[in-house]
Amino acid sequence: MRVYLLALLAFAVLAVAPFGIGGYETNVLMMVLFFVILAVGLDLVTGYCGQFSFATGAFYGIGAYTAAIMTRDFGTSIWVHLPAGAIVAGLFGLLLGIPALRLKGHFLAIVTIAFQTIVYLVISQWTSFTGGQVGLPMPNAGPVTVFGVTLFEFGSLRSYYWLTLAMTALTMLVAWRLVNSRLGREWVAIRDDETLASAVGLDTTRGKLTAFVAYAALAGVAGVLTAHSLRGVTPDDYTIWISATVVAMMVVGGRGTFIGPILGAVFLAILPELLGKFAEYKMLIYGVLLVLVVTLMPEGVVGRLRARSAR
Amino acid sequence: MDLFLQYLANGVVIGSTYVLVAVGLTLIFGILGVVNFAHGEFYMIGGYAGIVAITVLKLPVLPAIAFVLLVAAVVGIAAEAILHKPMKNHDATSSIISSFGLAVALQNAALVVMGPQPQRLNLDVSKIPVLSSLPTDFGPVFLPQQRLLIPLATVLLIAVLYVVLRYTWTGRGLRAMAQHATVARLCGVRVERVAIVTFITGAALAGTAGMLMSSVFFVYPIVGNMIALKAFTVVILGGMGNVAGAAVAGLLLGITESLTSAYISNAMRDIVGFVFVILVLLFRPQGLFGKAVERS
Repeated sequence: MRVYLLALLAFAVLAVAPFGIGGYETNVLMMVLFFVILAVGLDLVTGYCGQFSFATGAFYGIGAYTAAIMTRDFGTSIWVHLPAGAIVAGLFGLLLGIPALRLKGHFLAIVTIAFQTIVYLVISQWTSFTGGQVGLPMPNAGPVTVFGVTLFEFGSLRSYYWLTLAMTALTMLVAWRLVNSRLGREWVAIRDDETLASAVGLDTTRGKLTAFVAYAALAGVAGVLTAHSLRGVTPDDYTIWISATVVAMMVVGGRGTFIGPILGAVFLAILPELLGKFAEYKMLIYGVLLVLVVTLMPEGVVGRLRARSAR
Repeated sequence: MDLFLQYLANGVVIGSTYVLVAVGLTLIFGILGVVNFAHGEFYMIGGYAGIVAITVLKLPVLPAIAFVLLVAAVVGIAAEAILHKPMKNHDATSSIISSFGLAVALQNAALVVMGPQPQRLNLDVSKIPVLSSLPTDFGPVFLPQQRLLIPLATVLLIAVLYVVLRYTWTGRGLRAMAQHATVARLCGVRVERVAIVTFITGAALAGTAGMLMSSVFFVYPIVGNMIALKAFTVVILGGMGNVAGAAVAGLLLGITESLTSAYISNAMRDIVGFVFVILVLLFRPQGLFGKAVERS
């Protein structure tokens, strides 16, 4: 119960935050929230289900490009794009989940990196469809109308921020329900011992595929939000660096601890802002942090704290 | 037809690089079980070391090669200390994330030290004794000496590696480790030394490839990304841990890419290998030339 209250309090503070801070800080907070969604999603497939993925940036990009291309070709609104982005990214997640049925550990890691690279090459080279290196611009999401009455106009930074905050809350709720469901416990069983899991009659195929689809769909939602709030997409926002960043967030916080990747995302997304003029060392620091954390405490910060308090 | 032979020759040059990088990668995997995502960075560091040796330190060619090998050895020793030594009691997948982190760190360190602009090595072939007297025209095929050097060096290095693995005690130790680490240790193979030698060999092969290629193509901080992915492709196609398989698959990939870019589309060139690798992993996970071995 205390956890729910704390989470509620945190969201209440975040909801009123734009009134107290400037536009720059609001932008930073919004970016932190994108990473929270990505890290929570990756934790489902890697932390809970034990399947490696270095392709977060690809699903993030697929969501973003779904929104951008639908805006260009059909003129649809963000309310259509959110489910569409989740579905398209989820389908690609299913596609990537299929090799995961047969491959483990390093083989799977290589396939996800290859997938990430293929997606990047396609969005940066297929100029007639994706705009190539230049990317695609996007107009404002426009007014939100119910029966012809305009509720509010999308366009201000705050409206995107609140939408992102609401979607982050929804994401966390969905992920929390998933990991505490029967399905979530099946994922953990697959992670801990796949042979045993299938021996006691669990459907490991279904388990792995659902984990990949949930992960990809969440990244797709983050992509749609990002594309709309940045007013456009460029391929360089969806590279393997994003995947590396999200892996770092999850590992540093603690795989499979739920709160760990969230804290990791908040910490590592704000870190470059705190570093100021040293921000160019951001990726260098992420890399070194990854190596240090995996070597010294592979269970991550939250994992280590929990293990200590359990003792 | 004349152009076809030229494309083939270009493919062999690129393929030779893939062979050099992939053989080290497959050795490190086969002997130590480490999947080294930082292997492309060995290539990148080799390229930069060559540029520093020749452009900045103004060394002649042979001392420059010695310098590159020395740098590669240091990198190999450091990588072993980071990726292999502390990971013994961790589960096998920890080294995947760790090497991924090392790759990210090395690329960004290179960005800070060497800057983002692509750089090239001006190798004056006329000063290299044997090489400068070699022909550059082979019938319809034209190969500048800088390019010709790459397959020649590859053949030489792979031959040396073969002899070392086959006929020396160190080589026997390496092969024993690859077959069964515990039994090798019981038979008196010094596992720590084998691990260091393996990493040095891998770094030296990839570093040499990086240096040789830097006189033909540009070097930049993230150049290793694509090379490492290609090398993984080659390792998977050839069968994980299979040196001869990697050599054949590397040449095949280089040729396939060259022909794809010539006859289909240049944009497809980089994608073709990855499509292959996903297909091979799905239908023949032991590789095109590998035997099916159950690894637990």
